[in-house]
Amino acid sequence: MRILLRLLNAAILLYLLAPIFVVMATAFGASAYPLFPPEGLTLKWFHQFWSTPELRDALRISATLSATSTAFATIIGTFSALALVRYRLPGKTAISAVLLSPILFPAVVLALALLIALQRVGLTQTFTGLVAAHTLLITPFVVRLVMASLAEFDPSLEEAAQNLGAGWWRTFFRITLPLIRPGILAGAVFAFIMSFDELVVTLLLAGPELQTLPIRIFNYVQYSSDPTISAISTCLIAAWLAIGIPVYTRFLSVRHS
Amino acid sequence: MPSWFSKPHRSFAPWALLGPNLLLLLLCMAGPLLLLARISFMGYEAGHGIIPAWQLANYKKFFFDPFYRGILWGTLLLGAEVTALCLVLGFPLAYALSRARGLKRAVLFFCILMPLLTSTVVRTFGWMILLGNNGFINHTLLRFHLIAAPLRLMYNVTGVLIALGEVLLPFMVLSIDTALLNINPSLYEAARNLGARDTRIFFRITLPLSLPGIVSGCVLVFTGTLSAFVTPTLIAGARFKVMSTIIYQQAMALLDWPFGAAIAFTMLIAILILFVASLRLTERRRSA
Repeated sequence: MRILLRLLNAAILLYLLAPIFVVMATAFGASAYPLFPPEGLTLKWFHQFWSTPELRDALRISATLSATSTAFATIIGTFSALALVRYRLPGKTAISAVLLSPILFPAVVLALALLIALQRVGLTQTFTGLVAAHTLLITPFVVRLVMASLAEFDPSLEEAAQNLGAGWWRTFFRITLPLIRPGILAGAVFAFIMSFDELVVTLLLAGPELQTLPIRIFNYVQYSSDPTISAISTCLIAAWLAIGIPVYTRFLSVRHS
Repeated sequence: MPSWFSKPHRSFAPWALLGPNLLLLLLCMAGPLLLLARISFMGYEAGHGIIPAWQLANYKKFFFDPFYRGILWGTLLLGAEVTALCLVLGFPLAYALSRARGLKRAVLFFCILMPLLTSTVVRTFGWMILLGNNGFINHTLLRFHLIAAPLRLMYNVTGVLIALGEVLLPFMVLSIDTALLNINPSLYEAARNLGARDTRIFFRITLPLSLPGIVSGCVLVFTGTLSAFVTPTLIAGARFKVMSTIIYQQAMALLDWPFGAAIAFTMLIAILILFVASLRLTERRRSA
């Protein structure tokens, strides 16, 4: 019975990890289309990724968009977290539910709503419009992680600083900010990944001049089959694992506690 | 709560801190969603554009036109199938995860997190390589003479089910894992001391007490399927359409925003109802 359960779980894990493994394996294959198991061994698809101008542009656009949105989201989200954890507020539960709600809504619904709204103010197919949309989508992650970070440390440290005569700003910059820096950093990293991978909303709002990397991948995959996509994907998987796993573990332990 | 932030004369401070976020939500979420709701009651005529008169035509079309009603049912059925698949595969894995300790738990956890950190487009691309007519699965089955002709796994609902089940499985596993970890271990001891066997313990303790996790996992997977766009588009193409792909098509290709908005609004309401219902259900269980 126990062995049977183990075999079953091994099979389920295989199912869960198979597509990622396949994508990574085909990135190193020599054939002209993604073939699994791969034949031969080459790094040319990575070179191809780097030497295709439209893919490099896409990488640049994605990086700029995600960095800008993350900067806004980190500031806005940290302020909200401070307000929710450190103050007495009427309807605190309701407010935090509202702040976290952008995660709940289906991306395609928000995308169409934003398309209609941004059209009215002439901001579709603009960088500003995309930053606004991305900031909306990723701020909840910052709020959540900074809130957890704030709840962890002892507020009497802040009180002590106040009693010693420090003002609001001095207390914030000398006590609060250094203590919640790991939470802010985690929130920012997570928000950045979420923004960088966002496809659906960006697809409806971006237009031809602002094709992000996920949009390029999506279009490539839809109309052609090319191991260059495997190479890009492999780079992304490696990057997110390197910076994401520590943060994500923290995020989940927060959500589940 | 500390005193220094909550002094009465500082009571404006939290609202000032919340200000930017509330403004963002108002301008980029509440406003657009209201516009979406309003526009879903407008008309559309090719060549003329949007006709600003209140009407129910879009909703009538979506619920009564056989083609669109087929898509509604197809999407709901797919949601039920994906949820069932994730539950069947997710429970054993969550059970193993909740019982694992130390390094073993860390490794298992990593294996379940890794897909979550990989974008849906990338994972779906992996499935396209596996499921195609010349893909790995068909190739292997043909080579070992297990099938005579390639199975059709792409451009139909089977492929979407396989890929979407994989995409959403981590949510189910993590939900059930949380519920299983919340069970007080002394309950197992007590049951064992009273002479209960493993099967009885499973059906009388483990299963009923993990029900909140099962419910929230099912809701996450079901709503995830309803709103899934990338996987159905890439795996099924034009052959099998779901609500999201229709919304996208109306918005981007046909430019019939009012009709797209009506489908989007219907989806939104359905998902909100499901979330509220599941919260109610788990709350009641907790208080009972």
